Amino acid sequence: MSTTQTPTDTEAAPSAQRLARRSSLWERTNKATVVMAGVTLAVFVFFAVADGAFLSFANLSNLATQVGPVLIVGVAMTFVITAGQIDLSVGSIVAFVAAISAQLLVAGWDSSLVMVAALLMGLGWGLVNGWFTAYQGIPAFIVTLATLSVVRGLALFQTGGFSVPIASTTFVAQLGTAKWLGFSATAWIALVVVVVGLVLLHGTQFGQYVIGIGAAAESVRRAGVNVKLVTMSALGFSGLAAGLAGLLIAARLGSGSANSAQGFELTVIAAVVLGGTSLLGGRGTIVGTLIGALLTQIIANGLTLLSVSPYLTPIITGTVLVLVVWINLRGRDLAWFVQRLTRRA
Amino acid sequence: MTEGLPADRTGDLLVELAGITKSYGPVKSLRGVDLTLRRGEVLGLVGDNGAGKSTLMKVLAGAVQHDGGEIRVHGKPVRFNSPSDAQAEKIGIVYQDLALCDTLDVASNLFLGREPKRGPFIDRKAMHEQAARILADLHVKVTSTHQEIGTLSGGQRQTVAIARAVSFAPDVLILDEPTAALAVAEVESVLKLIGDVAAQGVGVILITHRLQDLFRVCDRITVMYEGQSVDDAAIVDLDIEKLVGLITRTPQQTSTEGSRA
Repeated sequence: MSTTQTPTDTEAAPSAQRLARRSSLWERTNKATVVMAGVTLAVFVFFAVADGAFLSFANLSNLATQVGPVLIVGVAMTFVITAGQIDLSVGSIVAFVAAISAQLLVAGWDSSLVMVAALLMGLGWGLVNGWFTAYQGIPAFIVTLATLSVVRGLALFQTGGFSVPIASTTFVAQLGTAKWLGFSATAWIALVVVVVGLVLLHGTQFGQYVIGIGAAAESVRRAGVNVKLVTMSALGFSGLAAGLAGLLIAARLGSGSANSAQGFELTVIAAVVLGGTSLLGGRGTIVGTLIGALLTQIIANGLTLLSVSPYLTPIITGTVLVLVVWINLRGRDLAWFVQRLTRRA
Repeated sequence: MTEGLPADRTGDLLVELAGITKSYGPVKSLRGVDLTLRRGEVLGLVGDNGAGKSTLMKVLAGAVQHDGGEIRVHGKPVRFNSPSDAQAEKIGIVYQDLALCDTLDVASNLFLGREPKRGPFIDRKAMHEQAARILADLHVKVTSTHQEIGTLSGGQRQTVAIARAVSFAPDVLILDEPTAALAVAEVESVLKLIGDVAAQGVGVILITHRLQDLFRVCDRITVMYEGQSVDDAAIVDLDIEKLVGLITRTPQQTSTEGSRA
């Protein structure tokens, strides 16, 4: 049964070896991600030429720190979106964890305990989202829209809207200023999260099921997979990542504010979608998210260096988002889209 | 086709259903169904829409729990509380919607839920090699195990779904409308695959509305009408007019059991 080299196999019968052969690298690459990589490179070169300070090590290191939180949450969001869900509450969770962590430090908790608490708070909110979505069947869009409001509300209620300072003697504050090989802790942790995300999405059953659920949840359920648990885990993961990002942001700023990370969820979702992850689910790319996060932050960073009006940044970022998604649509989905339109007509 | 198989007639009775009933509230979907299936046999299950074919197969696959009657597998009475119970008794089913994931590749779909692993990671190399072997053994025509399911034709998808079910090494394989909405050449490859699977000793139950397919691959036909099994005939005793008569219960019928409905 396992003979793969049966000489009697004619051309009509596909041989096992030929079937298992990998397609070329180009065929396997997500084309949307390639387009994005090109755009990012072009933008990078543009700023490098336009402003000499852009390519300085200090600025690149600063850029890496700015990208960090977006990237950490973006990697987790890639799983959520690939599974066909969405998490709108990450910005609120970031603010909640930043503010409450700062308060805990003020209350005299040890830094190590606060760090664990920060991660647990993030994970906890993520699991609340996940439980309502997966086990109660409420769309993630609604659930996380509700927690977006509730979680930030709780943080505002708890802090009275004031920013809570973190004493510079605490380990958390030192973590915010620590550098290794010229890059901040945030940047290094983001890199680790990217690697973990890559392995998790493309190397494990969890990643496989996340993709499968995004494509056809019922098929995965019938294959004997606990779809609800996987879905809840994905949302728990994004909560955990938001908790981590909240802690790092508070550490870097030396204070925790319930008003921080406004609109953060949209930046993260934009980065994920820019990278080529399908909002419809079933198709996700961590490398794409890395590129998407880099692009959004390069634009913000570069425009700041050029000292143009800061109000230009959201305008340009939004325009690039639409342009890139449009280009990607033209590449593959536009044909399908037109087909659908004409069929209906 | 039946007579050509190794003649071990004693232990080859795979499945017996006796007096199976199932109600959804006041609606009696199944009102006493008898059915038998032997090793290496292709049994056609026919009946008009709403006759209860799909419900019966869901009972046998463990997706639906019956109210009354008995299921015997290898002569032993069993009761399925879930699809995994039925799978443990080596009963496989390919539903009409195939239960595939479009954005995963062929090998990933074949091994969905039971990926070969090396440590905590999926062993992709082993997975693709095993998938290729399964597909080559069944002469399934796809270009590569790395192909995404969404890029395959309807017939290819169907054969991949059947190959997936066959790879569980089932004793019983239930196919729900495998040839509906397929191009002519694709129907041929699916029918050939069904023959190959039965030749391996698997008992196949084929639900279809395409009566001509029944004459191509089936050994025996069980006819259902309004939730009951009303006829059971060898294919050699039938022609297409007779079969239509059995399904629609029109006068020209030559019933072997007669319905007492």
